[in-house]
Amino acid sequence: MNDSTLTLPPKPPKPRPVRPAVNAVALLSGAVLLFWLIAALIGPSLMSQGGASMGEDAVFAPISAAHWFGTDFLGRDVLARVVQGTRYTVGVALTATLLASGSGTLLALLAAASGRWLDAVLSRAVDTLTSVPGKMFALIMVAAFGSRLPTLILTAAIIYLPGAYRIARSLAVNIDAMDYVTVARTRGEGRLYIMLHEILPNIIGPMLADLGLRFVYVVLLLASLSFLGLGVQPPAADWGSLVRENIGALPLGSAAIIMPALAIASLTIAVNLLIDNLPGSARGGH
Amino acid sequence: MNESKRLHHLVGPQDSTRLLEAVKRGASRRDVLAMLMAGGMQATLAGGLSSLAFAAHAATPKRGGRIRVAGATAAITDTLDPAKMSNQTDYSRGTMLYNGLTSLDGSLTPQPALAESFDTKDAKTWVFKLRKDVKFHDGKALTPADVVFSIMRHKDPATASKAKALADQIDTVKASGANEVTVTLSAANADLPVILGTFHFMIVKDGTADFSTGIGTGPYKLKEFKPGVRSIAVRNDAYWKPGKPYLDEIEFVGIGDEGARVNALLSGDLDLVASVNPRSVDRIKGTPGFAVFSTQSGQYSDLIMRKDAGPGTNPDFILAMKHLIDREQMRKSVALGHAVLGNDQPIDPTNRFYFAGLPQRAFDLDKAKFHLKKSGIGDAAVPVVASPAALYSVEMALVMQQAAQKIGLNLDVKRMPADGYWANHWLNSQVGFGNVNPRPSADTLLTLFFKSDAAWNESRFKSEKFDQLLVSSRAETDLAKRKQQYADMQTMIHEQAGIGIPLFLASLDGHSTKLNGLSPIPLGGLMGYSFGEHVWLEG
Amino acid sequence: MNGLILRLTLQRVALALVSLLVVSALVFAITAVLPGDAAQAQLGQEATPETLKALRQQMGLDVPAPVRYWRWLSGLLKGQPGESIVTHTPVADMLGSRLPNSLLLAAITIVVAVPLALVLGIAAAMYRGSVFDRVVSSGAVAVVSVPEFLVATLAVLVFAVELHWLPALSYGVSFDSPLKMLRSFAMPVMTLCCVMVAQMMRMTRAAVIDQLKAPYIEMVLLKGATPMRMVLAHALPNAVGPIANAVAMTLSYLLGGVIIVETIFNYPGVASLMVDGVTQRDMPLVQTCAMLFCAAYLALVTIADIISIVANPRLRYR
Repeated sequence: MNDSTLTLPPKPPKPRPVRPAVNAVALLSGAVLLFWLIAALIGPSLMSQGGASMGEDAVFAPISAAHWFGTDFLGRDVLARVVQGTRYTVGVALTATLLASGSGTLLALLAAASGRWLDAVLSRAVDTLTSVPGKMFALIMVAAFGSRLPTLILTAAIIYLPGAYRIARSLAVNIDAMDYVTVARTRGEGRLYIMLHEILPNIIGPMLADLGLRFVYVVLLLASLSFLGLGVQPPAADWGSLVRENIGALPLGSAAIIMPALAIASLTIAVNLLIDNLPGSARGGH
Repeated sequence: MNESKRLHHLVGPQDSTRLLEAVKRGASRRDVLAMLMAGGMQATLAGGLSSLAFAAHAATPKRGGRIRVAGATAAITDTLDPAKMSNQTDYSRGTMLYNGLTSLDGSLTPQPALAESFDTKDAKTWVFKLRKDVKFHDGKALTPADVVFSIMRHKDPATASKAKALADQIDTVKASGANEVTVTLSAANADLPVILGTFHFMIVKDGTADFSTGIGTGPYKLKEFKPGVRSIAVRNDAYWKPGKPYLDEIEFVGIGDEGARVNALLSGDLDLVASVNPRSVDRIKGTPGFAVFSTQSGQYSDLIMRKDAGPGTNPDFILAMKHLIDREQMRKSVALGHAVLGNDQPIDPTNRFYFAGLPQRAFDLDKAKFHLKKSGIGDAAVPVVASPAALYSVEMALVMQQAAQKIGLNLDVKRMPADGYWANHWLNSQVGFGNVNPRPSADTLLTLFFKSDAAWNESRFKSEKFDQLLVSSRAETDLAKRKQQYADMQTMIHEQAGIGIPLFLASLDGHSTKLNGLSPIPLGGLMGYSFGEHVWLEG
Repeated sequence: MNGLILRLTLQRVALALVSLLVVSALVFAITAVLPGDAAQAQLGQEATPETLKALRQQMGLDVPAPVRYWRWLSGLLKGQPGESIVTHTPVADMLGSRLPNSLLLAAITIVVAVPLALVLGIAAAMYRGSVFDRVVSSGAVAVVSVPEFLVATLAVLVFAVELHWLPALSYGVSFDSPLKMLRSFAMPVMTLCCVMVAQMMRMTRAAVIDQLKAPYIEMVLLKGATPMRMVLAHALPNAVGPIANAVAMTLSYLLGGVIIVETIFNYPGVASLMVDGVTQRDMPLVQTCAMLFCAAYLALVTIADIISIVANPRLRYR
């Protein structure tokens, strides 16, 4: 029987049935993620230059020996386009997500651990940021500042920061109200200590889950922006733009649209499954 | 209509009427065959006549029915004011509600519309005799005052008319009789009737300030109009063209997304959609009950190389780029065959002044390389600005970029969003793309885009000789001489201007096979946007 | 307790009003940076210097920017958000004709998506680790991974073009035929649910699981409560805060983030009105729409905050 009336930290979860430390799903997801990361880094240099050129080939050609993924709406090789797009999707989306989640969480920690006034000011400021709908904000930003990559990354980060902030804050505030944090304060621990050592470890789990989903949203935001004509500009294309460019292939069920969509799905599912299946200690319990 | 004439010819008036009546009442092929063979006619002949009767029936317009049409744009700026109209949605609504003094037919020749006749002796002073007994939708009769108001208002800057540049050449418009109007130009222009047949010059009631009621003399009356959403127009039973229009009602909406437009057509929600992407053509044709209607027009997206700034100051660069345009490739992979090759001059084959004798400039990598070397540009990056606002320009730029790589020229394609392209990039980029909509009058086209001091002279092409030819061709009444002058101007542009025109684009519309009566008018798709008057529904 | 709630509500409302003011200035500032203005947007390729000048004067663009902002703001405070500089019709009318459509779509989506997400989330949390949980969680991520326009286009292809079960276009509120109207909502709502259910479900699941880790839950189990009672009566009330927040944010998406659905189904809602306004540089329209979205968001978030506070007494003293 445990003593839950005294000020002890929460007990670790009950022992579960014996399971390998890193399960098969995590391995698989990790492998997929690693594959795409490598593709992003060295993929384009492996593909020959002629890979993505408009050739004599038909538009929306099916899968063949010459074109493993078929051809796109201009007759270019889809495999080459997907590999070239990996950099944009992985790079831009990942950077923006990390920025958004990271700064959102930090700000939330600050708000939760500080007094009412700072909390209110931060929350109001972040709310103000969220009030304009994401796509509208992106539309205006791109119309004003162009669609270069740094602008896109920053815009996506700004759009998704408040979400991370709000969720982190509501979690953090709940933790902050707990007894052991009060005890830590009474002990004389500073704000930074409480933020990083008391609250953060307890919210990392849900925040990682949120990060996984946030990553998906950023990838999709880039795709939506290209739908509105604003995202990564041709001839460069991220996966979402590839889906958009080749939407005419949908009724034909051609590989040109299925492959980029599968690429997006594989990446986002891999990221989320990996997070879900990381070894228990890293996530504060599942 | 040919079919019914032939039938008439073959079996005589009485029998052809009988046959057509039977088909109209719903007789099947077997019934018609029975009718024909009852008199002892041979089976094969009866079969042939029966087919003819059905074809004749199909080509006969039928009254009644309601259609839903979608254009490619819908915005809060949708307007019923002819002076402000700017896109196919506006133009389509305009032709439903209004008429012009003249209208342009399939060869872009002006035909009498509200003006029964138009005459001139010197191409400077024109007399238009107005049709009698034409009424506006609210019952008021058409008078010269309406014509005067409708045309002169374009000259007033406060109207902010899109046709101001064209209207500036008109000095005065005066009522010169009970049904007569005299137009005096500042300089002779044999194309005035053509200009007055374009959308902006449609006739509205004298003194109209609020155009949301859409009162005009046109084939349809306005029932509902929500800018950015839809319009509904019902048949004008008092229309001055007897028997027309055929339909009871037309609902017109704008759907910005091409995929959504095509899907709505194929799911049966719509009867006619405009601006179909060539990549959707096979799908529409492959679905039973639907067809594609193609209009080859003079619309083009052009490569602009400014002669006064940037790499275009070097004529060798311009020549290199012109030889780098792989027109066949663009026609094949960008327009999927729905285009006609261009030859770096703006007058297209549907125009009566098209000069067929100009040798077609070919895609020639060697010549391009040669000129590139001469120009000394080397492998410095040359930004090329394109945008979806200029149809196919992004894809064309990509094709050129690829070809340029083969000769060591580094073209850096910069795609700008459609939003604000015309205001910010079109005339400012040193190397970029523009787009010119079909203009029925060769003179209008050349004056607006190639005259030395024209506001829209994209490549800053300045030639005194060209300007002189332009002025003299306007006043020239001898057709052969005029043709020669236009031929010379086309050659000059082909050789000297900083303009590359790869293709003349065709407009593609999708429609249900129940909709008949569409025939191309090269002003644009949807029968030059005047489909409302001409189409009917089958069965 | 009621007095405390009331005080907190009033505080939040006051802060919300300040936020609204800041947003209006922010939107104005950014849109002032947009290249080109309404006159150029309208005249497009056919602009000449004289017509530009005349049109600018008609639109009131010759007045300096801060003055225009002030005029609009003071008008708004009186309840008159001004006139669109492009169509010269009152902005209130333009919004008024589109708002019922947006609200209806939002309402139907909420009614479908929120219960679905909550039920799935709680069930997944209760049976965490099981096959059901894995399938639902992965399924949610998979569904969300598909770009919205792909889902919508696919749905239209299957249900409208191939099967002819549902119409490809949606016309908004129309009272002649409620059944037809509901049919035309089926695909837009389905598309939106694909986007929204996953987020709400995941957060619900995570929040409930978090609560289930806490020591008092063990106590409840030892007391002899059934798992159902443990979750619904004990864990859930504590999880309400984060859940309410996740739901509020997702819902605020429904007014302004549905631009893609509105485009594909040609739905006359407020989002496409605002995009139109930005393209046409119609400032009064853009600003008023931004105000509308902002106000809706703040209202939702304030309600979520209040629910959090009511559910967790310890938060009342922050």
